[in-house]
Amino acid sequence: MRYKYRVNILPTLSASFDWKAEKIDWPVTTEVGRGLSGVIATTTDVMWLDPASGRLTYRGEPVETLAASNSFEEVACLLITGSAPETDPAAYRVVRDQLRSGRMLPADVVGLIRDLEPATHPTRLLRAGISALGCHELSVDDDLSGEQHWRELRIVGQIAALAAEIAAHRAGRGSPPIDVDASLPESVLAGLNGCRPDPEDVRVLDLLWVLYAAHGLDAPTFTSMVVASCLADPYFNIVAGLSALRGPRQGGAGEAVLDQLAALSEPRAAGTLVRRILDEGRPIAGFGHRSYRMPDPRVVVLRRELAALANRRGRPEIFEAARAIETAATAVLAPRGVHVNINFYAAPIFHLLGADAAFGPCLFAVGRTAGLVALVREAMDTIRLVRPLSRYVGPSERSLPDPGST
Amino acid sequence: MIGGSRSPSPQTYARGLENLVAGDTLISDIDGRTGRLLYRGYPIADLVERSTFEAVSYLILQGEIPTAAQLEDWENELRRWRRPPRAAFDALERVPRRAHPLAQYRTMLTVAACHTPEPENTTLDAQWRRPARILSWTAALAAAAIRHLDGLGPVEPSDDLGFAANFLYQTLGVIPPEDEIRAFEASLIVQAEHGLHAAAFAALVVISTGADLGSAVLAGMGALSGARHGGASQLAYEMMAGLRDADQARTWARAALGRGHRFPGFGHRVYRCPDPRVKALEGHAEAVLKNHGMEHRWQVYTALRDEVETVLGPKGIYANVDSITGLLYRPMGLPVSAFPIPFCLAIQTGWMAHCLEYLPDGPMIEPGAVYVGSTDNS
Repeated sequence: MRYKYRVNILPTLSASFDWKAEKIDWPVTTEVGRGLSGVIATTTDVMWLDPASGRLTYRGEPVETLAASNSFEEVACLLITGSAPETDPAAYRVVRDQLRSGRMLPADVVGLIRDLEPATHPTRLLRAGISALGCHELSVDDDLSGEQHWRELRIVGQIAALAAEIAAHRAGRGSPPIDVDASLPESVLAGLNGCRPDPEDVRVLDLLWVLYAAHGLDAPTFTSMVVASCLADPYFNIVAGLSALRGPRQGGAGEAVLDQLAALSEPRAAGTLVRRILDEGRPIAGFGHRSYRMPDPRVVVLRRELAALANRRGRPEIFEAARAIETAATAVLAPRGVHVNINFYAAPIFHLLGADAAFGPCLFAVGRTAGLVALVREAMDTIRLVRPLSRYVGPSERSLPDPGST
Repeated sequence: MIGGSRSPSPQTYARGLENLVAGDTLISDIDGRTGRLLYRGYPIADLVERSTFEAVSYLILQGEIPTAAQLEDWENELRRWRRPPRAAFDALERVPRRAHPLAQYRTMLTVAACHTPEPENTTLDAQWRRPARILSWTAALAAAAIRHLDGLGPVEPSDDLGFAANFLYQTLGVIPPEDEIRAFEASLIVQAEHGLHAAAFAALVVISTGADLGSAVLAGMGALSGARHGGASQLAYEMMAGLRDADQARTWARAALGRGHRFPGFGHRVYRCPDPRVKALEGHAEAVLKNHGMEHRWQVYTALRDEVETVLGPKGIYANVDSITGLLYRPMGLPVSAFPIPFCLAIQTGWMAHCLEYLPDGPMIEPGAVYVGSTDNS
């Protein structure tokens, strides 16, 4: 160890630890737990998730406030550039144009996606699409050192454009028409359903993306940060981030939530279903989150939205089923500190917006990319290379067996 | 196991997780002060001398030198996967020639990932079925990507050849002489595993989410593509190719040292002593260069190495593996821009071993962040 051991250990694993109040003075001494929990990987002013209260803020603004009054594009602007759209409307228009600048996909990228089986998991299509797009965006001679926010903004829009194209491909439709005035949620919903979206649906998708935009150093963001720290081009970072996006413990969680809802025959059976799942030793999908020992505040917003959306669709039973499972599972799990999480309500909302279970992670990806690129860019200003050490506990030096003996 | 300690313990580390011990590993022992690199206990110099890439990849993944029967099974398994899906080759026609070779190769892998068997099966058994396919598919695709740089089409694999020889054959279109195959194989062996470097760590974070092994390898490859990780071999070779002979190399190196120049291919985050991988490859590089009538380049290398190490050695800066691989690859006919690719093919063995070591009960890797911005406005 190069550093002197400091007496002041930051008890970051404890719920009472006040992250904001502590001065971070590198090198730092913290308690390190499983999966590197408690480790301080970076400092950020992009977003803050308070482990004590569960409150989530982007650039100091509570996420519920942003969700109620700002579009996803405005929030992407806030996260990526650090400036609120209201402070300089002219600058915001430029940002919005950059966000939307990726809407035209090169014919070869569309062709590459269209050549792939529509039944392929859509996150794999998305990863292939963004990789090919990266080849069209950057040549081997490009110097990336001067790039600033426009690249990150453009990538968010490109993920949206690819999501729309992939949705249309999966539905057996041609490429969605380009509408120069469409916002990102409008263009994705148009690709998803093959028609001009209802403004109320656009509002719901905007709100979902705002709530999903940033959530600390989740696996996609952290993976992307590690890759970026090696000075990879931004599309390598995104391909890596998308690779971490839909494991069952990440964006893929929504698929399990929908399966669970489908398994419920009627709301009254929720208690039985929950007991059966737990008796089989399986987790309740949409419950539990490493960062929360209390209900996720974003859930309150989404519960209301699902109720309204399900009614609008004439499918109130979807909300009733979700509410029944939530109530039954909460009764059992809340005493153990396990609470409902955002995926529990987001998954049925994605479904009602026209996305099937497999496509959910692609929709999630659009929203999350905004926070991911902002956090990664910020970290690159301070971090040289993300690389921990490992301790070797294997065999000590040995000689190869005699060639005759093998 | 990495990140596996059940009771939290205090550690001191700097930005970028520098000096944080993420956990335990059984795979490789790297001592940066004495220049020792062991795979599962075996020194790499011994493996280079007496083993094959197939046997070494088995050793790294499984933990023991294979028996003759185990080796034969593993070799057959590797051969079985030498023909990746057509669509992955076709992807090259959908991307511009001027794109970075690794970005083109990445696109081939992302397309191949749309055609993998049992793609959504992430049980431990299914993950263990993946390394052979990943090693062989990536080799065939990498060979095609390298040929594409020269506008050439892919070459069918030859089932009579071992992993290293077949890769060279599919890349070059001819079977190189035996000693060059051995030299290339040596470069694969010494680069097959290197602990928890940033690329391996990226792969580990991905596997910790419950993703498939191929996704983890893609993340590692992304890290490797970066200039801080995989780009130095090209720069090192170009530096040496610009020097006519040993005299000029010495004169230039002295002047550059005086200016405080940073020499690509010299210095390593882990090794503060001569890099054991360099020592294991130098004899091969000298022989290959001589076979091709390029002794002058060998003399340039040794002159440069001696000048730089004399002055910077006391500060812990020595030639690293990136200084030497280009001296093997260029005479064999690999284009300079393709130098990171063999490294990529070899080192993914180690990434997969780390992932498989992590998988049985590894938790999701998710460190914290600290907020330093304005307090919220409400």
